[in-house]
Amino acid sequence: MSTVVKSKSLWKHAFEQLVSDRMALMSLLIVIIYSLVAVLSATGLLAGNWADEMGPSYAAPSGEFLFGLDIFGRSVLAKTIKGTEVAMSVGLVTALISAVIGIVLGAVAGYFGGKVDEFVVWFYTTFTSIPSIMLLIAITFIMGKGLVAVYLALGLTSWVSLCRLIRGEVIRHKDREYVHAATAIGGNDFRKLFKHILPNVLHIVIINFSLTFQTAIKSEVILSYLGLGVQGRPSWGTMIDDAKLELARGVWWQLAAATLAMFVVVLAFNILGDALRDSLDPKLKGK
Amino acid sequence: MKKYLVLPLVLVMAIVASCTKKQVTNEKVLNVSVPQKVKGMDPIFASDRYSNNEVAKIYEGLLEYHYLKRPYTLVPNLAQDLPKVSDDGLTYTFTIRQGVFFHNDAAFTGGTGRELVAEDFVYSLKRLADPKLQGLGWWLIDGKIMGLNEWREKYANADKVSYDEKIEGIQALDKYTLQFKLTKPFPQFLYALAMPFTFAVAKEVVEHYGPEFINHPVGTGPFVLPKFEQTNRIVYTKNPTFRKKTFPCEASEEFKAEGLTADCGKQLPLLDKIVVEILIEDQPRWLNFLKGNIDYVGVPKDNFSSAIPDSKNLSEDLKKNGVGLLISPSLDVTYTAFNHDLDLFKNVKLRRALSLAYDVSQSNKLFYNDTALPAQSVVPPGIAGYMESYKNPYRSYGEAENIEKAKKLLAEAGYPDGKGLPEITYDCPAGTVSRQVGEFFKKQMEQIGVNTKVVQNSWPELQNKINKRSVMMYGIAWGADYPDAENFLQLLYGPNKAPGANGSGYNNPEFNSLFVKAAIMQDSPERTALYEKLNRIAAEEVPWIYGVHRQSFVLKHAWLKNYIATDFDAGQEQFLNIDVEKKAELSKKL
Repeated sequence: MSTVVKSKSLWKHAFEQLVSDRMALMSLLIVIIYSLVAVLSATGLLAGNWADEMGPSYAAPSGEFLFGLDIFGRSVLAKTIKGTEVAMSVGLVTALISAVIGIVLGAVAGYFGGKVDEFVVWFYTTFTSIPSIMLLIAITFIMGKGLVAVYLALGLTSWVSLCRLIRGEVIRHKDREYVHAATAIGGNDFRKLFKHILPNVLHIVIINFSLTFQTAIKSEVILSYLGLGVQGRPSWGTMIDDAKLELARGVWWQLAAATLAMFVVVLAFNILGDALRDSLDPKLKGK
Repeated sequence: MKKYLVLPLVLVMAIVASCTKKQVTNEKVLNVSVPQKVKGMDPIFASDRYSNNEVAKIYEGLLEYHYLKRPYTLVPNLAQDLPKVSDDGLTYTFTIRQGVFFHNDAAFTGGTGRELVAEDFVYSLKRLADPKLQGLGWWLIDGKIMGLNEWREKYANADKVSYDEKIEGIQALDKYTLQFKLTKPFPQFLYALAMPFTFAVAKEVVEHYGPEFINHPVGTGPFVLPKFEQTNRIVYTKNPTFRKKTFPCEASEEFKAEGLTADCGKQLPLLDKIVVEILIEDQPRWLNFLKGNIDYVGVPKDNFSSAIPDSKNLSEDLKKNGVGLLISPSLDVTYTAFNHDLDLFKNVKLRRALSLAYDVSQSNKLFYNDTALPAQSVVPPGIAGYMESYKNPYRSYGEAENIEKAKKLLAEAGYPDGKGLPEITYDCPAGTVSRQVGEFFKKQMEQIGVNTKVVQNSWPELQNKINKRSVMMYGIAWGADYPDAENFLQLLYGPNKAPGANGSGYNNPEFNSLFVKAAIMQDSPERTALYEKLNRIAAEEVPWIYGVHRQSFVLKHAWLKNYIATDFDAGQEQFLNIDVEKKAELSKKL
């Protein structure tokens, strides 16, 4: 008697491993909750009234005001939620922009090699030699301040590491037998690159995506703290900026709320990124 | 083999150098902090408080305010005496003080500063009027000095401005005699000569440095700065060739009682060095003060209740360390200006609606700890023209009916519930508190459906934007240049439009013609009545949304001597003194 064991795909395997890791599962859950909060806040279902005056200026946390009130008597909880929307959207858009640039440039450089490769390598080497915070500030100065500028500034400064990885992987893959097989049956460059090679390096993108996501959240907070980030709406960065003055009067809740919110999501993304790496990277299989 | 010896050697030297530096010296160093970047060191561009104060450390004018006299009294500085004035009040003859030398600088032959002469003032005032330079203080003397406007117009389109041409109104009769001829009575003329705009610069230096002159200040004043750089720290040293000028012995009774004449007769300046630190944010400034790194500081809003619990007296903690508190009303007004170049803001109903939506008592509470006085109009209390019992009808203290009134006015203006209005930008300086003030404004405007956007700028950038008229609304304050309501009312006089002092570009023919009438009158009940009338127009036409008249709360360490609150603090540093021993003793406790 022999039972036919259906072989699992890489993805199914990875998913099972991820689910069996309780920390990773928790992190995934947290990320989902944050995303949900962000979507609900963007649609106005949650914290739509963040700008309203709920009570006296700087009311302390209590049963009525869970996280206390800010200088204008606005709910810190609502501001934190609204800040989640900004943070998550910045994380998502930045990670998307950086993934697109990183994949395209990395894949093209790795696959075609030669002059194209030299150019791309030269380009990202030059690019990374500029300190990223300077570049961020320069871009926000050119674009003007605001959410779109933050998206672009962060997206344009965070693609290099992914580009490097993809290029290296594509170089390794392009002489593999399956690629030669694809050549033999008449596949063109585009097809070989995107249909055959790319799926085999996609795990790198996913791992990188989750790490870029949390880096972008942190950078947005820093930019907003410096007054270069989002304008006219709450962000964790501006909340921390406010807090540096308020601490002198003993108003700690705005700092606590913003830092806590940021801490939890960044930690979750880090753990998730690690777990994804463990389960997706074939080199770590069975260890 | 020798190569790698260099590194340890350098390290050793660096350690030795830093050790010797830490030794206690008897050098008297004043440490101050300013909250915004300084534009530059050219008197004719010193249109804001921060550059004003820096310029006045280096340059000097004919007159100055007596440091220890109240009410404010003008006394001669580079002039020998107060001028002789002709009977018709139009000709002023000054004798220039002899033996005043410019700082030593490479621009002079031989590198040693030459003596100041009457011709330097002729040159400096022409420079203020130079159409090519577009000095920011032109409004001060525009149309007032005989022949100067004609000279300015003549060269407006020429390639080169000729400074050699004689002007009837400003002449050096001999080496030390300077004569002004005015076109019409100008009661504030002497005040103007105590303002940095009219301070003396040397022609050689201006020509030597060209456009870089703004970074190479060379004056006759008590302190020297070899080169100005846009950094966060400016270090001045005592001028070794400063003329004989002594600390005043006369003083108003209040200052005598405080023992402020202790330094009477001592040669100025009393300090060896001034370190100006630019700290935009409140908290580092405050913490540096508590650590004794800064000698005096304005109390930040968030530290107010812990430092001055009852709004009058210092907390025990601070008293224990010998910190002193100075409370004084400032001759100033804060405001949010409309750019009147825009057709949008020509609509008076819109302006009134926005003004009514702004809750001034809340802003007083949030940003001034309820210690300021809500402004009804432009003139602050303490000078003739202020109307104590007057209430601006378009001023709101957060009453619900005023919001209704504002909404009604907004609808009448053609923008029911803010529909049809573009997004209004609000420009303000950098810094967290400025952003909060902006957010507060935004929030107030939202109550009636007006959508605004807060834009933060560095201080020089904001000034530049206002002068170029590329703003919609902006938040700023005006502090008196001299104790006369004219100095506030001129902010709304049409022809003073930016780059003059009227940054909002408000231009109302009725106001203008009344202003012209008042501007040539000597102090009299008739002039006060006219000032009041102007003040009332300024209130009801809402050219700006008025803010408050502030009170200043300044803390100073016990080792800082002779510091007093003054509305005209330009040049104040030469009178300040540091008790080095006391500082060493008290610093240990901090």
